[in-house]
Amino acid sequence: MNLLGAVDMGSVPLIVLCLYLLMLLGLGIVSYLKSRTSEEDYYLAGRGQGAIVTALTIMATFFSSAAMLGIPGLIYRDGIAFMFFVLNLPLSGLAIYLLGSRIWKLGQKHGHVTPADLIAAHYGNSILLRSLVALVGSLYVIPYIVMQIKAGGYLAKRMFPDADVITFFGSEYGTFELGAIALSILTMLYVLIGGMRSVAWTDVVQGALLIGGMIISGIATVMAMGGPSSYFDQVSQFPPEALSLPGASGVWSPWKLMTICMFASLATMIQPGQWMRYYSARSTKTLKQSALAFAIVLPCCFLFGVMLVALGARALYPPQVIDGSILPHPVIGSSANEFDLVVVSTIQNHIPLLFGPEVGVILVSIILVAVMAASMSTADSNLHALSAVLTRDVYDRFIRPQASEREKAWFGRAVIVVATLLALWIVRVGDRNPDFQPLALIAQLMFVAMAFSCQLLPLAIDALFIKAGNRIGAICGIATGIFVVCLFTPLPSIFLGADNSIANLTGTLNGLFDVGFIGFVANACVFAVVSYATMGSKKSDET
Amino acid sequence: MPQPQSEPHGRIRSNRLKAILIGLFLFALLMGPGPGLYLVNGYASQGGSVLGIPILYAWVVFWFFVEAGVVLAAYFKLWKADDE
Repeated sequence: MNLLGAVDMGSVPLIVLCLYLLMLLGLGIVSYLKSRTSEEDYYLAGRGQGAIVTALTIMATFFSSAAMLGIPGLIYRDGIAFMFFVLNLPLSGLAIYLLGSRIWKLGQKHGHVTPADLIAAHYGNSILLRSLVALVGSLYVIPYIVMQIKAGGYLAKRMFPDADVITFFGSEYGTFELGAIALSILTMLYVLIGGMRSVAWTDVVQGALLIGGMIISGIATVMAMGGPSSYFDQVSQFPPEALSLPGASGVWSPWKLMTICMFASLATMIQPGQWMRYYSARSTKTLKQSALAFAIVLPCCFLFGVMLVALGARALYPPQVIDGSILPHPVIGSSANEFDLVVVSTIQNHIPLLFGPEVGVILVSIILVAVMAASMSTADSNLHALSAVLTRDVYDRFIRPQASEREKAWFGRAVIVVATLLALWIVRVGDRNPDFQPLALIAQLMFVAMAFSCQLLPLAIDALFIKAGNRIGAICGIATGIFVVCLFTPLPSIFLGADNSIANLTGTLNGLFDVGFIGFVANACVFAVVSYATMGSKKSDET
Repeated sequence: MPQPQSEPHGRIRSNRLKAILIGLFLFALLMGPGPGLYLVNGYASQGGSVLGIPILYAWVVFWFFVEAGVVLAAYFKLWKADDE
């Protein structure tokens, strides 16, 4: 039953959205008034964030559009198999304490701001290594920003389905583009204004909204389907491929799921945005408490919240197989790219029925804003991290080492503006050109970004725990890791044609393991072998 | 009246607990999302359930509780912050 036409959302979504956006801007302005003009204050909020802010900003940075759109989309498409992704979260929680507290200590001691600061310092301040670490950070951050902006477009289409096309300077802008523009410009504004303090404070609001939104949507779906017993009865009627591995699309083998759980989690927790949050914590006790909250609260939000919405939607609106391709039910979306809309469509259809039109419409609006919060909280952290990486690791080192604090702050802000516009352009081109869809699904973008970030892991583990590698090994290892991950992107097909042996090999490996894990293995092997072979060269500097 | 634990004895106990928790967590990763899934996958594909809950969902929830238990034990028994 589709109630989209039956329940008029009226202007409630617009009012709720405006209130939320005004609150974000207000927080941005207050944090600007509390800020000082130093680089450390802009990027790390003076290294003084307490437990609640640290826990919620780490969670909100982790919660991206993938949490509310991409991951439920995969569960809706493939069935229960992809729910095992959630088992990466307790490991991520462990990483916050085990990696984060060591990163925090070194950051305090040496005044580090970015991941490259710590890694380059450990390996003798190599310029090449610093550049490679900055590159890995950027390769993670840019797809993630694109992904969040794209989600803003999807969401706007759902919130305001009847909005008119607007013509501006001779170009037409539909609801998707306007949503993407609104999300990115507003996020850009409050990051520009308040830096890390603003990002973290808005993350607190967004994190709380998200936790509430995920849990409420899960409970509401189970209630709408007649309670837990009836819910699981209906889920049990799934076809066998949706109740077992490798899932309806046949891609989730246990080895792939396990390597995703082990390596994607660690990759996510050492990406530049999270790494900088470890520096900005007040103490290791703060990180310890944040780790516990992350490991327990977040999986509950998925397992007993938003993942139940996706499973319920699969029972209510089963995906369809047309010409051998799996497509969403027409209520959810019309193309393979629209599996991501499963949570939004389901709550729009069922919550008004359950809670009555007035309360229902308000709840739907809050949950839709929570989805937007998921996107904004990750986009802001990544924009901010990209600004730090390019300012500290590139501009400050290679272009203008003599730049004043003020000049660096302005360069950092310029990076945020350029990155936002670039990401918007990519989203717009992708939306207008159906052929330009190399990584269409949000979750696919997520896995590529995490695979790049995973290449920091061997160096981070060595620098924080083992301390046996050297600079040459580190450079060769990370370069190999980046190269291997690039082989799994559409790049080989672009340069060598669609049917090439590399694409065939990577396609097979991709079916077996997580791409980040494959890159990690190549990276770690080369790192270890080259470090051993060049043991006579200068050992890594003690940090 | 019990004697206070000596420092080396406390460290041995702590190391033993650390090894147990690491082992249990790795076991949970192998059994939860890993090859341990083959133990229940056949039953799952036949529509098998536990207390009316599809077996794979019950499986993922169970191994989440194991992982969460390890994190809780580590938090209360092993992790030390600088100011504690």
